[in-house]
Amino acid sequence: MDRALRRRLEARFGKVLTGPVRQRHDETEIRIGAGDVPEVLLALHDEPDFRFGLLSDLAGVDTGTSMQTVYHLWSDSSGDWLRVIADGLSRDDPRVPSVTFLWKGAEWMEREAYDMFGITFEGNRDLRRIYMPPDYASFPLRKDFFLADDASRSPAGGVRHMEQTHGPTNAEAGARIRQAPAS
Amino acid sequence: MTTTRTPFDIPAHASSDDPRVTLDEQLGVFEPIPPYPPRTEREAEFYTLRDGEMFVNMGPQHPSTHGVLRVVLKIDGEKVVDLDPVLGYLHRGVEKLCENADYHQAICYMDPLEYISSLFCEWSPVMAFEKLLDVQVPRRAEYIRVLSGELNRIASHALFMGWFALDLGGLTPILWSFIERDEIVEMLAALTGQRMLFNYFRIGGVNGDLNHEFMSRLGAWMSKATAHIDSNQALLNENEIFVRRARGLGVIDTATALQMCMTGPNLRATGVPFDIRRAHPYSIYPELDFDIPSRTEGDCLARYLLRMDEVRQSLRIIDQCLHQMPDGPVMAKLPRLIRPRPGRAYAAIEGPRGQYATYAISDGTDQPYRMRIHDPSFIHLQSVGLLTPGNLIADTMAIMASLDPIMGGVDK
Repeated sequence: MDRALRRRLEARFGKVLTGPVRQRHDETEIRIGAGDVPEVLLALHDEPDFRFGLLSDLAGVDTGTSMQTVYHLWSDSSGDWLRVIADGLSRDDPRVPSVTFLWKGAEWMEREAYDMFGITFEGNRDLRRIYMPPDYASFPLRKDFFLADDASRSPAGGVRHMEQTHGPTNAEAGARIRQAPAS
Repeated sequence: MTTTRTPFDIPAHASSDDPRVTLDEQLGVFEPIPPYPPRTEREAEFYTLRDGEMFVNMGPQHPSTHGVLRVVLKIDGEKVVDLDPVLGYLHRGVEKLCENADYHQAICYMDPLEYISSLFCEWSPVMAFEKLLDVQVPRRAEYIRVLSGELNRIASHALFMGWFALDLGGLTPILWSFIERDEIVEMLAALTGQRMLFNYFRIGGVNGDLNHEFMSRLGAWMSKATAHIDSNQALLNENEIFVRRARGLGVIDTATALQMCMTGPNLRATGVPFDIRRAHPYSIYPELDFDIPSRTEGDCLARYLLRMDEVRQSLRIIDQCLHQMPDGPVMAKLPRLIRPRPGRAYAAIEGPRGQYATYAISDGTDQPYRMRIHDPSFIHLQSVGLLTPGNLIADTMAIMASLDPIMGGVDK
């Protein structure tokens, strides 16, 4: 664990952090609001204290009540992976600014998150489905999308056509949706 | 604009699997290439033809796409103006499957991702789960992981060499490189019980200890490996046709490579000696003595030569592993049913193609709540669109092969 990084992060981003800085093993985690993503990542990328030049991963997460986008960064200034969680995106219309202005390579990762979760990355010039066919209407990695053969959780008893979807979700009203652990 | 015939009671986006769509009221086939309303700026720009330009589909069954990939090329004569890779032909939804499997089962789904280097696909999720569980892996297990992993890296690079030459039009190298690869694959089959989809790493260790057949095969191979690999490489490194074709093709500079989130050999070929084995050490790599080769040209030839340098470093690592291997158990003591405490873990390793990473979230049940798999092939394939325009159609395959994407990993 890199205590110095934690102090630097708290000193620099104290105001925009929406939760405490957490550290475990070789990971440091900060939480920010969706609107602060470009500003925070630009500072982490450019400022000599941080120099997080490599976007190691970009992922979407559905917590069951809200959406998140998660960025993992690497820097030579710290021995830790830095995890930036942009929290609290609404599930009905998740929106977050794109980071393609910093890392052009994030374009496909954002397309994947859009394809799987329906998260709209504002500023991504090519935000269309990447894996699923263009006429597909659902977002498969959302927690209210049940697998065809997942009999234990499927409200219809496990028999349904995988692509028989009529809206952004295929969960029946009142279906039990898995929730992320409260952190 | 092609008109799609849609009966009134069927929603326009209904799939042809929909039981309400009967044979005589077929939906109009969704046009794979527009005209349909372009969804993004980029798509509109790409699918607008100027005078003298035309589209050509490469794939999905084209042999040089290393799997099932369709690339829509916009060409002007023999020159590629722009291209649009179309993915998803191999998409299996592994991340979703993992959310519905328990922690042990999830590892089985990792092998077919990059079927050329399966051990590395298993390694990062196993490490992430171990972090969630706070398990200490026995040292002998770590040595076995590194040993088998480096063997797999050599097998992967051997195949890369053959493929790359094949895509440039040379048939012989792939026959030669398969000699090495086959020997390693048989060796790993003796160790793991499978030739390609090993399913060997376990949470807390590996499936079985080293056995006699593996060790005798490895010993016999190691005694002649260096000479074999040198003679294989002499076939290409001194071939003027190959070298002149690959030199200066698909050049990418350091800043752009970092912007494109490249890792692994493709980034090191631009002059950055970034290797997670050294940059963010894991397993027993800090105790081993090896170099991180890097080159500055950033072209196809540099990417090829760099991988060949890595093979020699892998041989060094294998040698050290065999000499330093401690005795002891190969599995940590763990219950069969694993329920990690709620939490998040991220683990990244250096594979033959770059950074493999897993981000796992546990909610306290026996199934991962979310499992994100980061695959280097996916990231590197993206750069083909940046490197190819301005080159000939035949160079598209060469550039793609030099980035070494595996479609199983790209499509997940």
